[in-house]
Amino acid sequence: MSTERACATAAAALLAAAAAAAQEIPPLPPPGIDLPHVVLVSVGGEIATGCETPLELAGCESGGETFAPETWARDLPDVGLVARIVTEDLRALSRADGGAAPEHWYGLAGRLQQLAGDPEVDGVVVTHAAAGLADTAYFLNLVLPTRKPVVLVAAQRPWSAVSGDGPLNLYDAVRVAADPAAAGNGVLVVANQEVHAARDARRTSAYRMDGFGSVDLGPIGVADPDVVRFFTEPTRRHTHRSEFELAALPESLPAVEIMAAVPDAAGRLIDAAVAAGVKGLVVDGAGGLSGGQVEALRRARDQGIVVVATSAARAGRVPETVALRESGIIPGDNLTPTKARTLLRLALTQTSGPAEIRRFFAEY
Amino acid sequence: MSGIRAAALAALLLPGAVQGQELPVVKLFTTGGTIQSLGKDRLKLAEYREGRIDGATIVEAVPEASRLARIEVEAISAVSSTRMGAEQGLPLARQLMTELERPEVAGAVVTHGTTTLEETAYFLHLTVRTTKPIVVIGSMRPWTAVSRDGPLNFLGAVRTVLTPEAAGKGVLVLLNDTIHSARFVTKRHTYHIETFVSPDVGPLGFADADRVVLYRSPVTRHTADTEFDLDGIEELPQVDVVYGYQEASRAPIDALVKEGAKGIILADGSPAYGNAVLEARAAGVVVVQGSRKGSGRVVLSDRTAARGEITADNLHPQKARILLRLALTRTTDARELQRIFNEY
Repeated sequence: MSTERACATAAAALLAAAAAAAQEIPPLPPPGIDLPHVVLVSVGGEIATGCETPLELAGCESGGETFAPETWARDLPDVGLVARIVTEDLRALSRADGGAAPEHWYGLAGRLQQLAGDPEVDGVVVTHAAAGLADTAYFLNLVLPTRKPVVLVAAQRPWSAVSGDGPLNLYDAVRVAADPAAAGNGVLVVANQEVHAARDARRTSAYRMDGFGSVDLGPIGVADPDVVRFFTEPTRRHTHRSEFELAALPESLPAVEIMAAVPDAAGRLIDAAVAAGVKGLVVDGAGGLSGGQVEALRRARDQGIVVVATSAARAGRVPETVALRESGIIPGDNLTPTKARTLLRLALTQTSGPAEIRRFFAEY
Repeated sequence: MSGIRAAALAALLLPGAVQGQELPVVKLFTTGGTIQSLGKDRLKLAEYREGRIDGATIVEAVPEASRLARIEVEAISAVSSTRMGAEQGLPLARQLMTELERPEVAGAVVTHGTTTLEETAYFLHLTVRTTKPIVVIGSMRPWTAVSRDGPLNFLGAVRTVLTPEAAGKGVLVLLNDTIHSARFVTKRHTYHIETFVSPDVGPLGFADADRVVLYRSPVTRHTADTEFDLDGIEELPQVDVVYGYQEASRAPIDALVKEGAKGIILADGSPAYGNAVLEARAAGVVVVQGSRKGSGRVVLSDRTAARGEITADNLHPQKARILLRLALTRTTDARELQRIFNEY
């Protein structure tokens, strides 16, 4: 059984346990006030990590174990002001330090699809490690067929840190998930009082507080102290407008590797990836390929391997140039290499025709 | 380059335009500004008082645009943007509405000086009832300058007008390949090419070399969805901006009230403004709290909301002024005015 499907099966087993362990954070307003229902799902991360001292800012000295979602109920009962919250512990669907890796994506997406399909649920918050969050968010953005808000949230600092960003990020994520205006905008990322669209959100600092941004574009809204306000909406296809269906995906996604353009590389890594059976390659920085890499890519293309180029400038689209067109390389729009890889893996489940792959990169 | 060679090159560059096919019409309204201005020589980047070119000269200089659309030019004014205002804005908005009703007209491009470009763009965004694209452009360098940006901004605007996804997104502002919403855009530098930005939200898209891409739509109300109606409106209520800084005196507020201003936008504040604002309100002047910081919303606190104070959201003071002038044509009720600031 593939890793993805194995994890999905493990997720199904988890669900029974999760349902039993689900805990409601008591609502704070007086009885009779009807609050939106939000499910708070933990896949761990810094936001679910407590260190021994508050000055352990870049991770715990002792390694740091993630805690169960009940800790939030104890530390941040304020979330009960804005939503009725049920927590769900899905830390088993993550790496030890928290955060769902691609092998956990099917399982996580499957459970989120169930939650979003529950008429009692108005929105879902998923905590995640800051690293990898943008990639998980984009995968979910492409496969979850929901209009309900699904909000990913992380912290740059451990939950226990002095002036940590975790508590406010979590509170804001719940407010966004509970806000009807958040619906239909695809998967969202909340950090630093900003609301980002999953497609464009990326990590912008490894450690400092301005940890997420939408480079090239900007946030689509804000979680300000008074209100959540949306200013724009994303136009690229996502969630309820996506053609990808979780249930129709193969046991595991087609293999795609990322290659960096290096001006004096011999091209051996590309040959090795091809020999290992990749179906696609993402080349980061197509303008800076060496002669050896260009030759290796030509050999790969001759074997039917799809090649997508991203920009190493980290901002701006890769324009469709004559040179790219002639070499059969497909521009990866303004996606990061890892997001271009995710989209290519999904696109390759539908087609390997260059025209169709091009369409995916223009529409998603 | 000869005209024939230019046309041949354009045909190569733009295979989409087919000979003989009826081209859509793009209206070009010119108001003046740096994009139409001439300097003494090509290195005069910030000094250009040697007269102006007209719209036809821009169209002739970029024959590629005429391969995509039939450009119809109309001159509204030929002034620097600091001289622009409702006197030009009202007739411009009306002409835009009339022209955009013609079925063969795909959309419009408006040239403007850059200093107050965002104000005219936002005024049109709030008043012109249409779903067809209106793209306001300017340039940072005069028409005579080396590495001038005007021609490419013009071509980008025509390409944007002809992009189906540009419809219904309100008034757009395009300089330096970047497409902004009139609601959010502002001028951030005095003379660099990369000057126009949308501080809280970023641009909507790009007019790139290969195609025009639009990644975002504004969700604030505008154009076809506006409640503002220019029918019968000959002039707009007087609204001014008062800047806040250390030790600022109340004199400007008192003077404006005495002069008969109907509204005041505060760009931050001063302790001396407290009583002056209360007295202004008592005299029927609407005071809106804005910010001079250039980014971020003025947050509504329980205290300010209870006092009936109105906040400008994240509109820059100069744009809050435009919105308040229009809002005052409909209401002076504080709650209603706050709704308008929340929605537009």
